[in-house]
Amino acid sequence: MNKSAVAGVVAQGRRALHRRADPARIMEGRERRFAAALLAPAFLALMATTTFPLLFLIWTSFYRMNLSMPFMDGFAGLDNYRELLADPRFWQSLGVSLVYTASTVVLQVVIGLALAVLVHGMRRGQGLFRMVAILPVVLSPAVVGMVWRSFMLAPDFGVVDYLAVTAGLGSHNWLGDPTLALVSVIVIHTWQWTPFAFMVLLASLAALPDDIYEAARIDRASAWQSFRRITLPLLRPAIVMVIIMRTMVALTAFAAIFTVTGGGPGTATEILNLYAYRKSFTELSIGYGSALAVALLVFTLVVSGVLFALRRAK
Amino acid sequence: MSARGQVQLDGIVKKHGAFAALKGIDFEIKPGEFFALLGPSGSGKSTTLRILAGLDAPTSGRILVDGEDVTGADARERDVAMVFQSYALYPHMTVFENIAFPLEMAKRPKAEIGPAVREAAAKVKIEHLLDRKPGQLSGGQQQRCALARAIVRKARLFLLDEPLSNLDAKLRLETRVELKKLQRSLGVTAVYVTHDQEEAMTLADRMAVFMEGEIRQIGRPADVFAQPNSIEVAAFIGSPPMNLIPARYQDGSVLIGGRRLPTMLQTHGERDVVVGVRPSAVRFEADGIPATVEVVENLGDAAILDMSLAGTALRARYDRFPLPREGDAMGVTVRPEDIHLFDPVSRRRL
Ligand SMILES: Nc1ncnc2c1ncn2[C@@H]1O[C@H](COP(=O)(O)OP(=O)(O)O)[C@@H](O)[C@H]1O
Ligand SMILES: [Mg+2]
Repeated sequence: MNKSAVAGVVAQGRRALHRRADPARIMEGRERRFAAALLAPAFLALMATTTFPLLFLIWTSFYRMNLSMPFMDGFAGLDNYRELLADPRFWQSLGVSLVYTASTVVLQVVIGLALAVLVHGMRRGQGLFRMVAILPVVLSPAVVGMVWRSFMLAPDFGVVDYLAVTAGLGSHNWLGDPTLALVSVIVIHTWQWTPFAFMVLLASLAALPDDIYEAARIDRASAWQSFRRITLPLLRPAIVMVIIMRTMVALTAFAAIFTVTGGGPGTATEILNLYAYRKSFTELSIGYGSALAVALLVFTLVVSGVLFALRRAK
Repeated sequence: MSARGQVQLDGIVKKHGAFAALKGIDFEIKPGEFFALLGPSGSGKSTTLRILAGLDAPTSGRILVDGEDVTGADARERDVAMVFQSYALYPHMTVFENIAFPLEMAKRPKAEIGPAVREAAAKVKIEHLLDRKPGQLSGGQQQRCALARAIVRKARLFLLDEPLSNLDAKLRLETRVELKKLQRSLGVTAVYVTHDQEEAMTLADRMAVFMEGEIRQIGRPADVFAQPNSIEVAAFIGSPPMNLIPARYQDGSVLIGGRRLPTMLQTHGERDVVVGVRPSAVRFEADGIPATVEVVENLGDAAILDMSLAGTALRARYDRFPLPREGDAMGVTVRPEDIHLFDPVSRRRL
């Protein structure tokens, strides 16, 4: 067969293939349109509730918009951001956010991991622990905040205060003292969300094979060595995932702090999120409040970027 | 040094609730011996090995290693090495790190670890794979990595739980030979669990035949093969398995298919017996007991004939060509020294 004959046959084959592929392509197009129609409402709702408000927020952050002084409103350019950089209360709230986030996440992971290892080693009663653990998680943070404020931390008749007095530490104004108030909101967040870390890490632990721990015993690794050299590295992906998820939530925490301290005393527990809220809806300075919220958004994005980079590393 | 690795098990019982996985295991292993635990699946071989390793505690009984009672000691204190059936490699470590792990746990100096790892890897021919993770290795390579990790520390006992069972047939045969050489060159006491009687026959200096949580027979593989002490052991050892035919014994002979076959057992009287004949011991003679060929399994250089002999089934090995065809009539006989006699009630050898 010569070259042109081969080319002819090939072309013929290709045409035949095309004819056969055409109906399939029509079907495919139809299917895609149908899928798009199904998705459209959800997509539009998502746009309307997330993307649009976000764009609106960024837009307002470039305006002077103060409901108590509406006559001053107008385009402000970067004024809000200039003000923000020079605002000590902004830096203070960013610092509180950092302390709050770092300490709650570290505490959740450390305590959650310790509990998971402990419960994983138990032969019986694991189910009970799992069930008890889920309780704080399903409570609304606002309810948790109220419960802690009224039953746990109230001076004289709160459970914590009672325990402190019994232990000889004396009665304290847990939410009135700046340091104690910050410690209190950190403890409350840790109390509510450690079970989440616990459950995720327990499930990951249960998925690890048993035989490598027996091999480690044969290789004469101590319990601590097999935790350090085997459990931790194998749990790393789960731990990093928990850190990422909990960091995102802690950075944008609101309800529990709002109900327990409202950011006080003074600004002792005022995280950036709360400051943005107060600026916008208590002081009615919407433009500046928006700039604060955008700053929080940028900060959150930077932190998550760093964490995801860490996850990929090694 | 040569006295290292002597093992003694004394009345080991292991219960899981009411179920007794081991019903009293006793044996002794000499230093440097290759000892096989052979038995069908679920007979308690792994349980015995795990108790010997210190991974599980016996319900009762004693374990002595080099004369020292280690019954209460954990695996960490026993100085044993083990190859798991699943290999149990550390998935997040490279082959090098896997092999180095037991040395690091033993706090060996860094300068010693590198050469020791490379030496162990060389012994099992995986020096070129040291940077890989277990997930990037084939089954055979993983198995070698597990072997290297077990030999690198030079423990006094080398325990292997069905190490070849996850390999394909060809690799299994190759590795079997290498394993034997390796054990000989290390001079270490090895305890080897297997359900494959051929593996035990070829590898072991001595073996213990396990059944239902008990040891039925201990001895050199050739002796166990030649003199199985019970019907169960006789049926388990040898491939294809021994023919077991109920028959009548009468003054030194057995009656099969209306013929008298003389045996080595010369006692007066009459009784029921079970006659054991290995397929390879069946001889073909024109004036033998008449039998009909029902199925011919051609193995290439020989064949297994499934025959019917006066209503009972008989398997025989046949290595003359041309092979008989299905439906052919043949005469068979057995020499007196090839006839094993068992008591049908006690199931023991007569
Ligand atoms: N943890 C356990 N709980 C209950 N039964 C067990 C347990 N481990 C093993 N067994 C039983 O003990 C018997 C012996 O098991 P094993 O030693 O693993 O047999 P094998 O000879 O196949 O290695 C089996 O019947 C098995 O089901
Ligand atoms: Mg087993």
